[in-house]
Formats: sequence, C-alpha cells, structure tokens
Amino acid sequence: MDGGSFINGLMIAIEPINILWIIVGGFLGTIVGMLPGLGPATAVAVLIPITFSMNPVSAIILMAAIYYGAMYGGSRSSILLNTPGDGSAIAATFDGYPMAKKGQAGEALAISAVASFIGGLIAVVGFIFLAEPLANFALEFGPAEYFLLMLLTLSAIVALSIGKMVKGFLAMMIGLTLSTVGIDTQTGVYRFTMGLPHLSEGIDFLIVIIGVYAIGEVLYNFLNIDQQKKDKKKVGKVWFTKDQWKRSKWPILRSGPLGFLIGVLPGAGGSIASMISYTSEKQISKRSEEFGDGAAEGLAAPESANNAASVGAMIPLLTMGIPGSGTTAVMLGALIMLGLRPGPLLFEQQPETAWALVNSMFLGNIALVIINILLVGLLVKILDTPAKVLYPIIVLLAFIGTYTLSYSTMDFFLLLIFGLFGLMMKIMDIPIAPLVLALIVGTDMEQNFRMAVLSSNGSLGIFFSSGVSIALVILTLLSLFYPLIIKLVKKKSQKNTDQPEQVYKSS
Amino acid sequence: MKTMKLIVPFFLILFSIVMLISSFNLQKANLGNPYGPIYFPAGISIFMLIFSIIYLMQELKNIHKENPSIKLMLSGRTPRLICVTILFGIIYSFLFERVGFLISTFLFLGALLFFINGKRKWIVNTVVALSFSFISWYAFSELLGVSLP
Repeated sequence: MDGGSFINGLMIAIEPINILWIIVGGFLGTIVGMLPGLGPATAVAVLIPITFSMNPVSAIILMAAIYYGAMYGGSRSSILLNTPGDGSAIAATFDGYPMAKKGQAGEALAISAVASFIGGLIAVVGFIFLAEPLANFALEFGPAEYFLLMLLTLSAIVALSIGKMVKGFLAMMIGLTLSTVGIDTQTGVYRFTMGLPHLSEGIDFLIVIIGVYAIGEVLYNFLNIDQQKKDKKKVGKVWFTKDQWKRSKWPILRSGPLGFLIGVLPGAGGSIASMISYTSEKQISKRSEEFGDGAAEGLAAPESANNAASVGAMIPLLTMGIPGSGTTAVMLGALIMLGLRPGPLLFEQQPETAWALVNSMFLGNIALVIINILLVGLLVKILDTPAKVLYPIIVLLAFIGTYTLSYSTMDFFLLLIFGLFGLMMKIMDIPIAPLVLALIVGTDMEQNFRMAVLSSNGSLGIFFSSGVSIALVILTLLSLFYPLIIKLVKKKSQKNTDQPEQVYKSS
Repeated sequence: MKTMKLIVPFFLILFSIVMLISSFNLQKANLGNPYGPIYFPAGISIFMLIFSIIYLMQELKNIHKENPSIKLMLSGRTPRLICVTILFGIIYSFLFERVGFLISTFLFLGALLFFINGKRKWIVNTVVALSFSFISWYAFSELLGVSLP
C-alpha cells in the first residue's frame, strides 16, 4: 500500500464537504433502506441524480455512504417490522424481530448497529490490504481474461439464484441483449435502434435500473399495500446489556472477516454472507436452541457479516471494474456516468480518489453508527410514515432521476416500460440482479470477446492460453454445474442408503 | 391464472425469435470482420430461445401450482393501482415539458397520493404534494443545478 496516497485520500475524505456528504448519504440511505421492500440497489438508483452536479470524488463518497446507509436501514425495518429491505437483511429478522417483540427493540437496534460497525471496520482493514495487490494482478489481464472474468461473475450470480437457474439465465440473456442496442463501437453499425435516434447511444442502463428497482418495486409493493399493518414497537433505551455484548462479541469478530471474504467473491454478497454467518454461529453456539428466539448473537453475527460483505463487494468493483452484485452493478453504472472508470488503473491513475473512498468507508461506518443510535427516535418516526405516502414519492424521485440523465421525457416511457418489466420479473420470481449485471458489463464483455478473438486471428484458443484464463474457465464451469454435482452426490448417497432396503424387498 | 403463467415464457420465446431474426438482418460491417456486430447478439438470442423453451416447459409442468403473487396482482384494487400509476406516469410525461416541472409534479404527486392514500386523507395528500413538489424543485433546480422545465 502506498502510504502517501492513503494519507492524501484521508485528507480528501475529511474535507468538511465530504464529511457532510457522508452524513447526508448515510442518513438518506438509511431512510430508503428502511422502507419495506426497498433495498440498497433502489436507494442508490433513486438517489443517483443527487450526485450529478458534484465532483466525482464527492459523488463516489456520497454513493458509498448511501449504500452503507441502506444496509443499516434494511436491518432497522427487519428488527422493528419483520420486513427486510432486501435479501441481506433477511437474517436480521430471525432474532432481531423476536428481540423487538420481547421489548428489547432498543437493545436489538444498538447491537445491530455496533455489529455492523465492527464488521464494516474489519472489512475496511481487509480492503486496504487486498485492494491494491488485486488491482496489480488485474493489470496483467488481457481482453480474454476480462471476458472470462465477466462470464464467471455472471454465471456465479446466476448459479446463486438457487432453484431458479433457468430464470437467472434468462434474465442474464435479456440484460446482454439490451446491452447490444445502439451503435457498435468497433464498427459503427447501428443495432436494434428501430430507427429511433434516441436509441443510437444504447439504452441507458440507469433508466433500466431505476425502472426495475424503483418503479418495479413500488408496483410490486402494491400487491399487499392494504395489508401492510404496522405494529408499533416501543423503542426504549438504545444500548445493550453487558451479557448481550459478552455473547455477541466473538460472533461479531468471526463474522466480519467471513462476510468480507464472501463479499469479495463474484456474485455472492450480503445475503449469502449473513445467512452463512448465521447458520455457522448457530452450529457452534452452546445456546443454539435460543437462536430464532431473540438471541443477541443471532442478530449480531449476520449484521457484522453483511456489512463486511458490502465493503468486500467494493473490491472487485473498484479494482477490476467488475461488480459482484446488483447493488454494486448500480454503483458501477453511476460511476461510469460520473466519468470514473473503476478498474485496475483507478488505483494507479487516481490513487487519491480510490483511497479517499476507502477512508470515507471508515468514516461512513462511524457516522452511521452514530446516526443509527442517536437518531433512532427520528428514524422510527420515519418508519411510521405510511407506505401509501412514501411510494408515490419514490415514483416521483424515479421520474426526476430519469429526467436528469438526458433531459428528455422520451425516457419516461422507457422508465415505465422497465418498471412494468421489473414488476413482471418479481411476480414470476425471475431474479433481477443477473439482468442488471449483464446489462452493465454486456458491452465490455462483447468488446473484450471480439478483441480477444481478433488478436488471435479468429481462434478461440486464446481463452485457454494462460493459467489465469484456464482457471477462470474451470471456475465458471464449476459455478454452473455445482448445483447439478450436489444433486448427483445427494442422489447417490440416497441410493446407497436405499440399497439394503431394495435388496430386502426383492428377496 | 394459467394464462398469466404462460404469458411471460411465450413472450420471451417470441422476443428471442424476433431478436434472432433481427440479428441476422443487421447491417454487415465495412471495417474488419463483416459479421463482427452479428455474432454476439445472434449467439445470445439462440441461448435465450433455448432457455425460454426450457422455462415454458417448467411452467407447463407446474401449471397447476398456484403463484400467490399472480393471485394478489389480480385481486382487490391492485390491478387498478398498477394501471392508474402507469397511466398517471404517461400523463405526467406529456405534461412535464408543456406546463413545467412545478405544476405537473404537484398534479402528478397529488393525483397519485389521492388515488393510493385515499380521498379521506386529503389534507395530508395536499400538504405532501405541495411541499414535496416544492422541495424537489428547490433541491434539484437551485441546490444541484439541474435545469428543470
């Protein structure tokens, strides 16, 4: 790590204006993340327009703060309302809501905020040590390796949509198809523009993102808008007891690094990190029977893991330009709009920006823990605001956001189309993350594929020509076939146990 | 319900076929490999077609299994809420540049609030629509320098 750049980054991050953005972003992110059904991806998507008039460094700091804020916010609604903002906050409902039901809402909010804080800090330290070596490693990647890395990320995110791989693949294919609309940058050929000049530069992925995440989510929430009843939880003193801390500290410290490492993996992220940490803590706990019944460590562990994972997920995004999850894909989209190109060169050409972001994550976590503990009364009041008032506001923000992208109301129609599309995807249980990810990396993926093939005079052997590319191919195949392998292994072991019975029957 | 379950896979099959045909009808490149711009979209369309057919088969196999989300979408006032939100969105798109941001936004947000939140809460609806239209105009136009009509 370059100490000079680190210090420069720190100096930028602690500029008063950036501190202000960290606080504003954290607060706004917490509010959107708290809304039932709306997660970090929606928070970032809806709040992107705020960043457009800023300098890129402040913008990236603000967006990261929104992202972490939404992660914190997601667990607020998990604990108080039993409605997680998104997948990564689901595990927080297992013990967080029972705690709130037992009258320990204040303790639950405090332990989750502190666990998230510590998990986040552990991950920031991990980030500092892992980011630059990974960026240097990625510098040696050629087009073939990049193509394969993107393929691995996409296949991993599809493979992780357990039980709905076919739908995941379809979402990915739709995303890739949408990414081909517009002028082909290598040849200047117009593709699928339907004669509309508006589409010659392609479909703006931010419109798709705002459409499927903001409009689509609001429309989907209409499905049970009249059933949403809130049982108000009284939040007393927001701090935890000594015993709760004693039970939680080791789970927090174990789940931080675990969550961070899972976050770095392509396709994984907060949901898986929090689930794995919850189940592993339950397995090793001496009081596992209390899990699910309001055990403090059952809340602390996944909270630490999912926040650590959200920091970990920034590594592939910033060092390779490859987002590992739906939310980081949205962030990549916004960064590209701001003229920042995340990738290995970011650390070489704009080290201050990269390190300012790392330092802001550190400061952001401090700001968020303060916001979430000191302002808990205000946050709970916001949570009491009826969804029927909040959803129209989210719809409006989506429209304004779309307008700021190109100053054209033509895009409003695209927004509505993708909103409906997002609704249909949710209803048919088709995962959205592969679509968004594919749409964003699609163009780069195609260009890298064609450049690789061109450089090898049309031979596909280029994709097996280096150790890295072979490893990536193997990992991609493994990620695609592991559900099948697991199924086969299970079947075989079942067959083995069934065998004696069959013999008995036949005799 | 059964028709609803099959609409999406059928639409995707149709979409894949249209994309496949359109891919082969794309203009050939004058630079480099003439088929360069065609390979990728054509390849994706083929994969999309294959997966759409598998998806259709999966849905046919589970045709009798109930999808609670479809049921919810078609029950109560949900279909009206969805259609009216989209309709208001379309009207807002037409009004936005014609009558300006402030008025169109107030009307759009107000209409949405009245429809979703109910007429009985007209005071809350009006206050939120008024204040939020103004706050968003001030925040975007004045503080963030976004040029709004």
